[in-house]
Amino acid sequence: MIDPHELVDKLVASLPDLLPQARWFGGKDKPITAVRPLRTTVVHDDLVHVVIEVEQPGRTENYQGALSLSTGAWDVLLDPDHNGVLLDGIAAGYEADGIVFAHEPGTELRTGLRGRPIGVEQSNTSLIYGQQYILKIFRKLARGENRDLVMHRALRSVGCEHIAQPLGSISTELDGEPVTLAMLQEFLPDAVEGWDMAKTSVRDLMAEADLHAFEVGGDFAGEAHRLGSAVAKVHADLAEALGTQVADEAATDRAIAGMLRRLGEVTEAVPELARYEEPLRTTFEEARQHIGRIPIQHIHGDLHLGQVLRTVQGWLLIDFEGEPAASVEDRLALRSPLRDVAGMLRSFDYAARQLLVGQPDDDQLAYRAMEWTKRNRAAFCDGYAEVAADPRDNAPLLRAFELDKAVYEVAYEHANRPEWLTVPLSSIARMTSGGE
Amino acid sequence: MDDDSRPDAALGLEGVPHTGESVDGDGMLVEPQAEDFRSAKPASANPSWFKGAVFYEVLVRAFSDSNGDGMGDLRGLASRLDYLEWLGVDCLWLPPFYASPLRDGGYDISDFRAVLPEFGTVEDFVYLLEEAHRRGIRVITDLVLNHTSDAHPWFQESRQNPDGPYGDYYVWSDDDSRYSDARVIFVDTESSNWTYDPVRGQFFWHRFFSHQPDLNYENPDVQEAMLDVLRFWLDLGIDGFRLDAVPYLFEEEGTNCENLPRTHEFLKRCRKVVDDEYPDRVLLAEANQWPSDVVEYFGDPEVGGDECHMAFHFPLMPRIFMAVRRESRFPISEILAQTPAIPENAQWGIFLRNHDELTLEMVTDEERDYMYAEYAKDPRMKANIGIRRRLAPLLENDRNQHELFTALLLSLPGSPVLYYGDEIGMGDNIWLADRDAVRTPMQWTPDRNAGFSSCDPGRIYLPVIMDPVYGYQGLNVEAQLNNSSSLLNWTRRMIEVRKQHHAFAEGDFSELGGSNPSVLAYKRLWKRPDGREDIVLCVNNLSRFPQPVELDLSEHRDYTPLELTGGVKFPAIGELPYLLTLPGHGFYWFQLVEAGDDSEMR
Repeated sequence: MIDPHELVDKLVASLPDLLPQARWFGGKDKPITAVRPLRTTVVHDDLVHVVIEVEQPGRTENYQGALSLSTGAWDVLLDPDHNGVLLDGIAAGYEADGIVFAHEPGTELRTGLRGRPIGVEQSNTSLIYGQQYILKIFRKLARGENRDLVMHRALRSVGCEHIAQPLGSISTELDGEPVTLAMLQEFLPDAVEGWDMAKTSVRDLMAEADLHAFEVGGDFAGEAHRLGSAVAKVHADLAEALGTQVADEAATDRAIAGMLRRLGEVTEAVPELARYEEPLRTTFEEARQHIGRIPIQHIHGDLHLGQVLRTVQGWLLIDFEGEPAASVEDRLALRSPLRDVAGMLRSFDYAARQLLVGQPDDDQLAYRAMEWTKRNRAAFCDGYAEVAADPRDNAPLLRAFELDKAVYEVAYEHANRPEWLTVPLSSIARMTSGGE
Repeated sequence: MDDDSRPDAALGLEGVPHTGESVDGDGMLVEPQAEDFRSAKPASANPSWFKGAVFYEVLVRAFSDSNGDGMGDLRGLASRLDYLEWLGVDCLWLPPFYASPLRDGGYDISDFRAVLPEFGTVEDFVYLLEEAHRRGIRVITDLVLNHTSDAHPWFQESRQNPDGPYGDYYVWSDDDSRYSDARVIFVDTESSNWTYDPVRGQFFWHRFFSHQPDLNYENPDVQEAMLDVLRFWLDLGIDGFRLDAVPYLFEEEGTNCENLPRTHEFLKRCRKVVDDEYPDRVLLAEANQWPSDVVEYFGDPEVGGDECHMAFHFPLMPRIFMAVRRESRFPISEILAQTPAIPENAQWGIFLRNHDELTLEMVTDEERDYMYAEYAKDPRMKANIGIRRRLAPLLENDRNQHELFTALLLSLPGSPVLYYGDEIGMGDNIWLADRDAVRTPMQWTPDRNAGFSSCDPGRIYLPVIMDPVYGYQGLNVEAQLNNSSSLLNWTRRMIEVRKQHHAFAEGDFSELGGSNPSVLAYKRLWKRPDGREDIVLCVNNLSRFPQPVELDLSEHRDYTPLELTGGVKFPAIGELPYLLTLPGHGFYWFQLVEAGDDSEMR
């Protein structure tokens, strides 16, 4: 029998060439200076799990992958002929040399299925088993339990209906700290991303630019309303499961200071923002006067139309990892639920205007887009208010969160998609001049 | 007794056999018996024929006039059976053709054992049955169990002789306070479910119009009398009944008087009569309710169902309209997900349109407002809680949508019910009263009265459609028969394809989802008696814009999708999602053929 460590040594030597080709590898911007195996585990005859340390100038990250013991083939996590054992292990409650496969209490799983990778994600790998389960494999490993898993478990514990139920996990320890390797959830083959739903509606409206947003067949307001209720219910469930606090003044100061700091940085980098700097600064400062002692809790943290799924049972929220750019500490901090609301409201703006990007100016279509945004933002807030306090009750804070998010978008679009810069900029223009 | 007080006085049936022609020594009305007539040879035996049948709803009055009196009749309908056979129709559904004062489209029956004279006679009906059965076509008709017309001799007896044998045939009360939890159904015209009868000096109960008193099912004689009505027509050879308004047979204080246990008990008795005495015949329940409630009318699933064989799936139809307007499959997906499994020997009936308005009872308020806004732009298009329009005008005469809707009707789970004239895309006339908008004469030819009748055009029961878009001069059966790309020829072809795959009839339904909300994709899987599978894949683009969809068909890896209308083989299915692109409102029907099976199995 081949010695797995020998295989891994061979693999590691070739990884500096292989890694940059992997979709999930997050360090494509810099050369790889070293790759070291941290842990090698024979999970099964044909699946050797490997944790590697990748050294690049200025950073060292851990990643995971797997190879075949018989053929030496790399990254058989993606290979349906090999990856069935991951699900089987979770179903059986298997432990292999420090890697723990566990199902959530009370779940029973089908076994013997093949995992088909779906090719939409950037930083993770997701496998679909038999149209029933989805296994999300976290490629870049972070110390500490994964927030997505923690939040899903908490929501499951209070019977939340607006999530894909967590079914199991694969975890281990590195340097004495827990590390989540993968999370298993129910897979919903009928699910459609909120973004695609919204786009369908906007497309319908834009094709009939002489009809108002409330007149067209593809009206989205009913969906937006139900989505608002779903988000509010998830917030309530998170509060029930994990508790709430009241933000003190220091926390408020920190939040406002963060907004002002970001505004300063982005204005420097993006000259187009300069003309709005003053009104933005005023808005943020004003928010401080209105905030008072607001409740804070665990929230989704990165909520937009791409993070919600429409299923026949209703809307689900997915991916509770938090804002990708934020630090681990920030992701774990308690926040105002209004941040999630603000994120979704911004997303409506994006959905409405996405067909206009890169097109010649058309006042009529821009007017329709605005109508769509207004109608669906209002419907979303109405739906939210059916379950919890109306987010518009704290308009100054909500507006500050939205504008802070828009400033972030300005920076992002400036760096990545200059054509889209008009989307956040026009929103900022509107909102700082008293618009909705 | 003097003439006016004769119980059959209001019938107007002098000269033809009818109920109450004479009264026997016990005071019982003498009624016509099946033995008095010739009976039709039954259709060929097949107890589950209804599961795969294509139904065709045809109004006798509207289809064909054989005697030139301006009104369609049973002989006229019989003369058009070759057309219906050619189209691929398996079963005709006729709304009531019984004797009736016609104050509710014939649902106000004044004699269960006589035919409305203008439609013909019982003998004519038997002739129709014979001719239909000869062509392999079955015939079912509506039977109203819940009530009669107030002209029915039973009611006349009941109001005049409270102590006679019919005194207890209806629900009488000294005041109008009982059963106050029951809603009023025809809110447009009725204010109460009780009406005072000055003859008897009491109130009678009616769930529908005040000229339609409810029968009193508490009375065992009523139950027996109605079972004998079933037997009368079954003996003549009819293939089944659509039981109208079944939820309302019994009343009980403190309930809404709908779907009561004793109503189900009586339906079980009806079913037992059919099973014991007339196998092969069907009972179809008209219960305009949510599928989860309607399944009760199939009866006990343990024994494969012991009430009605079939029931209409009402909420599916408005959802199909909504889904296409929203360009989102969810309105359809949701209602199908909420539809419970049905007993083994049961089947849904599904439809796009029928002689009633497009019913919006089974939608939420929000959805109803939406449907009105989308499909009933003119207030005249609305009636009761629905929309009175035909399929083609509802779809703004868009051929692509018409085909998409028909493809959905022919492939979703359930036996499809076509409405006469929709196969040629007939229009409606919203200026006609009530629901007559969708009941105009069938358009056969460009000749006088659209070939429907040879009468003086002024005499016709309703004017034929004459507008420039849907007018009979251009839109008629003859013209479409001669045009190979017509909607009629297309519809016939699709019915033919449907019949080649039993998966459409009885196959398990599973939706495939997919990331594109505008695409509704599903599989129908039928395990044939020889153990092989017939798998049909249906993919529908609900959007007017072209759409791609990636479907997870990995379960059928290496199978080849074979397009069913042209027989073109598509690329084999691999492990990756299967990519299809569809034109706006386009659809595909495929058979999934196993690798190595070149037989293109049917």
